Amino acid sequence: MPYNLSKQRVPVDFILWKGITHDMDYNFKEKRIFLEDEAEKKNLELFLNNEGINLDKNLEYTVGIYESGKLAATGSFFKNTLRCLAVSFEYQGSGLMNKVVSHLMNEQYQRGYTHIFVYTKCYAAKFFSDIGFYEITRIDGLVVFMENKLNGIQRFTDELSKSRVNGKAAAAIVMNANPFTLGHQYLVEKASCENDVVHLFIVSEEASVIPFSVRYELIRQGTSHLKNVILHETGSYIISSSTFPSYFIKDDESVVSAHANLDLNIFKKYIIPALGIKRRYVGEEPYCEVTKKYNDIMKESLEKDGIECVVVPRLKIQGKAVSASEVRKCIRENRIEEIKNLVPETTYKYFKSEEAKTLINKIINNKNRH
Amino acid sequence: MERLRRTMMFVPGSNPGMVKEAYIYGADSLMFDLEDAVAVTEKDAARFLVYNALKTIDYGTTELVVRINGLDTPFGRDDIEAMVRAGVDVIRLPKTERKEDIEEVEAVIEEVERKIGREVGSTKMMAAVESPIGVINAYQIASSSKRLIGIALGAEDYVTNMKTKRYPDGMELLGARTQIVIAARAAGIYALDTVYSNVDNEEGFRNEVELIKELGFDGKSVINPRQIKPVCEIFTPTAQEIKKSIDVKRAAQDALERGLGVISLNGKMIDKPIIERAERVLQLAAAAGVYEEVMENEK
Amino acid sequence: MEIKKSSIAGTLESSDIQIAIEPKKENGIEIELKSSVEKQFGRQIRKVITETLQSLGIKNVKVSAVDKGALDCTIKARVECAAYRAADAKEKYDWEVMD
Repeated sequence: MPYNLSKQRVPVDFILWKGITHDMDYNFKEKRIFLEDEAEKKNLELFLNNEGINLDKNLEYTVGIYESGKLAATGSFFKNTLRCLAVSFEYQGSGLMNKVVSHLMNEQYQRGYTHIFVYTKCYAAKFFSDIGFYEITRIDGLVVFMENKLNGIQRFTDELSKSRVNGKAAAAIVMNANPFTLGHQYLVEKASCENDVVHLFIVSEEASVIPFSVRYELIRQGTSHLKNVILHETGSYIISSSTFPSYFIKDDESVVSAHANLDLNIFKKYIIPALGIKRRYVGEEPYCEVTKKYNDIMKESLEKDGIECVVVPRLKIQGKAVSASEVRKCIRENRIEEIKNLVPETTYKYFKSEEAKTLINKIINNKNRH
Repeated sequence: MERLRRTMMFVPGSNPGMVKEAYIYGADSLMFDLEDAVAVTEKDAARFLVYNALKTIDYGTTELVVRINGLDTPFGRDDIEAMVRAGVDVIRLPKTERKEDIEEVEAVIEEVERKIGREVGSTKMMAAVESPIGVINAYQIASSSKRLIGIALGAEDYVTNMKTKRYPDGMELLGARTQIVIAARAAGIYALDTVYSNVDNEEGFRNEVELIKELGFDGKSVINPRQIKPVCEIFTPTAQEIKKSIDVKRAAQDALERGLGVISLNGKMIDKPIIERAERVLQLAAAAGVYEEVMENEK
Repeated sequence: MEIKKSSIAGTLESSDIQIAIEPKKENGIEIELKSSVEKQFGRQIRKVITETLQSLGIKNVKVSAVDKGALDCTIKARVECAAYRAADAKEKYDWEVMD
């Protein structure tokens, strides 16, 4: 094959016209920050506080951009969400945030997270828009929720619409089911009874000790006798309170409110119209303050829009409300037999099976409440 | 006549902006780095970037060098193939310790040249000594291949291996520097000094350049466009040196015209090395733009 | 070449282009482009992306590109890189096609 050497010249004026050269780039160094290192963690926290944000408790990877050993910009991610992004005041405008986000996205893709999300302050929305992020929803003055796909939420909604059952009373439930208990089953059965169709959304996030695939399967098995129940995944559009990024919100109260309202915006703007939802069912929350507050906000907000919000009192067995955490506690303490009265047979059968052994070991060794 | 290599500017192969703009700064050579400047996860990206840039962008008369990853890494072989195909002028090894290192790379280069129909031998090579054993083997390395155009010193790794560090007076590098220059001269190739990382310290940089010029180096590695001008200035011959060189050339011309077997100037015999040096001085002078001035004064 | 998974190449920095690709079963090459110079160069950018994918024998793929003023050669480089990253690990570089 003939060796071809023809080339074109890049006009010098095209380069200099832009006014910027990359001379400065020589000085910046990208370095991973390990939060296990107490000193590094403290330094980072100080840096973030200076820029008006906190260190989020859910971070799996952090990068720092340094000039002559001094931290100039930083960013982190937790699974597919970008978090704790900040550039120090003196370096703003020099493209450091672009560098940070590039680095993080590259790392995320390598870990298999390709649909990237960010919860950002409203004034930063334009920056993200310029780098290929698109708005899903927002709470004015507080937060904008964005994704790196042009029609991500629209496609999600279109997919949901395929399950729409027209002319029928449709209800919705969102549950994590960690794992699927008699309490969960009771809730679904009640909704199934009182409505023509129930759209059951399962939280896709892997933030629970029981993996999504198992939770989904247990729900599927535990509701297979109900012919009008359709299962859906929430994707990354609805996430749990434990992983909702709270670092840029001042107090706990506001965090729950922000989280709830974002979820509600999505529910109202996308899910309700796609499926013709008229009612939402939720289990009463006697224990967890955060969940209780979330539900209160939800009920008020939905009813304002004419959507009925049915709060179902918890199923009681022998006078005690059935709780998934109780089930997890039994499993953690290797008292599998004792969950028999708290979960449907399908769930019990699973935990007694050979394939659940690895998971059970994991639960036994897990320190989190979730 | 051999080209000038007063400055070789390091350009990270992972940065499209710098790869695109590098040539406007006027360095004699550009070294696109696929090795140290590039993160492991980005080696492939940098290779594609430099490959495409070399094929498309007209860098004028600037010499194009690429520092590849070693053949002992998963990247080396693909780097060589890509760069030879892209038409690179010189392939620089990251770390040369013995002549076999050169021979191994040369074999791969030749294989690719034959495969694609590029003139065998047209891809040149450059060695980089970064360790004590490399310094000891400097002459062996410098004379190992017809493709080898130069030998450089990589100080950072070298001082680490020597269990010392870099000092302002450069004494820790004296041994390595002199060995490398001697080897280069004996083999008839270029000697290139290492980088000076403190971009803001112009005085320190100038001192170092003066030193290496004194030692006989042909040029300096630079990592920032700001370092180019000082090097060129320091390597610019003085008016006196230029005048002397012009006289040497005149004497040589004169002897040629009169058919004399021996060239002499002011009672001294002028042999080939002296003429070559004179040509070199004039070449440097021309590149610095001062040759014209001196010629003016001559009239 | 067959795209087996999603991949990304390039950065969001000046003079660069970030190319993210995702496998699709059918319907050809789909390009989502974000560029501040969409009006002047949008078509050219899409053309380079498409031609590069075609030369690699890729028929069905979704591309999300964020352009920050990249030259054609940079666009080509980033697309090639993303393609190989998304292909089977055993895929050897086909230089004939890229030359």
